[in-house]
Amino acid sequence: MKTVASLMILFSCLVFPLAAQTDESEEDDIPRSVNEATMIGVGGYNVMDTYLTPGIETKYTGWGLRILNERMKVVRLANYNVSRQQFLNVEFASTRNAADVATDYIGFVDYSLGYHYRFTNIVPNLKVLAGASVRLSGGFIYNTRNSNNPASGKADLDLNFSAMGIYGFKIRNYPITFRYQMEIPFIGALFAIHKGQPYYYLSQGDRGGVIKFSSLHNKFAMRNYFTFDFPVANFTVRAGYLNSMYRTDVNGVKTHVLSNSFMIGLVKEFVSFGGKRLKKTHEYSSAYY
Amino acid sequence: MKLRIIYYLLLVGILFSACEKADKYNPSPRDNFEALWQILDENYCFFEFKDIDWDEVHDRYSVQINETMSQYDLFEVLGKMLAELKDGHTNLFSSFDVARYWAWYEDYPANFNAEIQKNYLGTDYKIAGGLKYKRLSNDQVGYVYYGNFSSGVGESNLDNMFIHFKDCRGLILDVRNNGGGVMSNSDRITQRFLEEKILTGYVTYKTGNGHTDFSSPYPLYLSPSDRLRWTKPVIVLTNRQCYSATNNLVSIMRLLPHVTVMGDCTGGGSGFPFSSELPIGWSIRFSACPILDADKKHTEFGIEPDEKVSMTEEDMKKGKDTIIEAAIEHILSTTDKPEPNKNKISTEILAN
Repeated sequence: MKTVASLMILFSCLVFPLAAQTDESEEDDIPRSVNEATMIGVGGYNVMDTYLTPGIETKYTGWGLRILNERMKVVRLANYNVSRQQFLNVEFASTRNAADVATDYIGFVDYSLGYHYRFTNIVPNLKVLAGASVRLSGGFIYNTRNSNNPASGKADLDLNFSAMGIYGFKIRNYPITFRYQMEIPFIGALFAIHKGQPYYYLSQGDRGGVIKFSSLHNKFAMRNYFTFDFPVANFTVRAGYLNSMYRTDVNGVKTHVLSNSFMIGLVKEFVSFGGKRLKKTHEYSSAYY
Repeated sequence: MKLRIIYYLLLVGILFSACEKADKYNPSPRDNFEALWQILDENYCFFEFKDIDWDEVHDRYSVQINETMSQYDLFEVLGKMLAELKDGHTNLFSSFDVARYWAWYEDYPANFNAEIQKNYLGTDYKIAGGLKYKRLSNDQVGYVYYGNFSSGVGESNLDNMFIHFKDCRGLILDVRNNGGGVMSNSDRITQRFLEEKILTGYVTYKTGNGHTDFSSPYPLYLSPSDRLRWTKPVIVLTNRQCYSATNNLVSIMRLLPHVTVMGDCTGGGSGFPFSSELPIGWSIRFSACPILDADKKHTEFGIEPDEKVSMTEEDMKKGKDTIIEAAIEHILSTTDKPEPNKNKISTEILAN
């Protein structure tokens, strides 16, 4: 029952941004640009999953790659005091145990959609954003030498508290924009196989209790994201550090996936035309329309 | 001011950041002994069924552990401790050896001889996936040998085999010396012998660390294949080396009215094995999840055949396989000769 209730809450949260998107009408004469960054990251991983190592908490460590696409745009909500943020993250890592004789591969994909209220008048050049986001993620941890428990599958749907600070400053007239963002899921639902339950029999229909309500009592996850934007020639470069933490203790299985990635990529700011605005061709010169 | 803001933001991040130290390589004999004992104590599934006092085992082997022993000596002691479980699914793997318990078949007659089997299969048998098959006794009996459940058997492999046997009066499914493998192969084969959906058994798994903490048995059903099916007489040949997935196949096949299990008791192995590892890096495999038969009984120690037949020295000297001979005799004596041209290649014929 709790799971159903939480899913309903999450569903309502998903509907909210859809409704918000429709608020942008033709009356919005000022084109609101989209800030987009695509970044690649390399970092260290620390992984543990007791479904793969029953009876012992064994940590595997190694290196991983991630690709992160981020989009942010001010939307019409609350008189343009709200911005929408989307993240698409893909990551893959290869880790080894302490004896260096076994490998865990990790792969995760997640998408999040968030809305933040923007406080822009606290300190000059500082924007403080606070809001919530919905994240859908899925992935696996795969142990290359296990017999009938070779992989631990993960799927999560979360509602996150999200806060961000963006601060622009100059060092000898060289403009730099610093951002710190933190996201913490506080309610959601997740897939969790039971301790000792083979996936083979899950596929045969023994699926009771594998979808669980999640909150801080059985899941603690967090993302800390630091970035610096700075111009290089005609480009804007974004360099950063992403600290990601995912810990669960559900159905007798403890998991953690921790990573610290150094990110670098390019930023572009563009105006997205669509719908009725496309008719106002005098406002732009398209190679296509 | 600028720097102070950045400083505070960084501080907040660091406070919440993921700090987790990596494990250090730990070859300590004591730590590894305790880890192995605990992994099994919390996860092994047959303590109660086999009436094993695991605490007593701990005390008996603990005194054999000292911090100066070599990894080879440690491995030997740990291997002996695992043998107390009398479980063919329980192994310890290192880079230099595999600790195993094979008494479940080593202490019994083999009841299979690959050289003698050649007198039946010859060299002109057909191969379809992991199946070797041939018609015997003037094409009246179909004989198929499946020696390893890790060798795949596809639906078209089975179709072609059944077509080849369409005029046969019965089928011998020989799974002797098949030590198991992929469970889905067992389901794919047994579905070809069903006429209706049946309850094949139950599965349960550990829900806690106690020796009796199990989930409620979950019923397992199997439905007939919608492809070619065989409902004429079937003899399943077994010996002590029929283990794990093969044991599971036998536990299902014996439920069917047109199937006779013949040979020796199977080896058992009804615990679905899981893996874990020790701090020294060795991998441990153990029975984690009991698969019960349709009567909710364990088959960990094997399944008795419907007709117990053993290979005799006399027959072996003549190059004969007593069990195959008995199976042929059973089929020929319990079925009528088919009328000429009665059988056609169709699902109806094979299913009637």
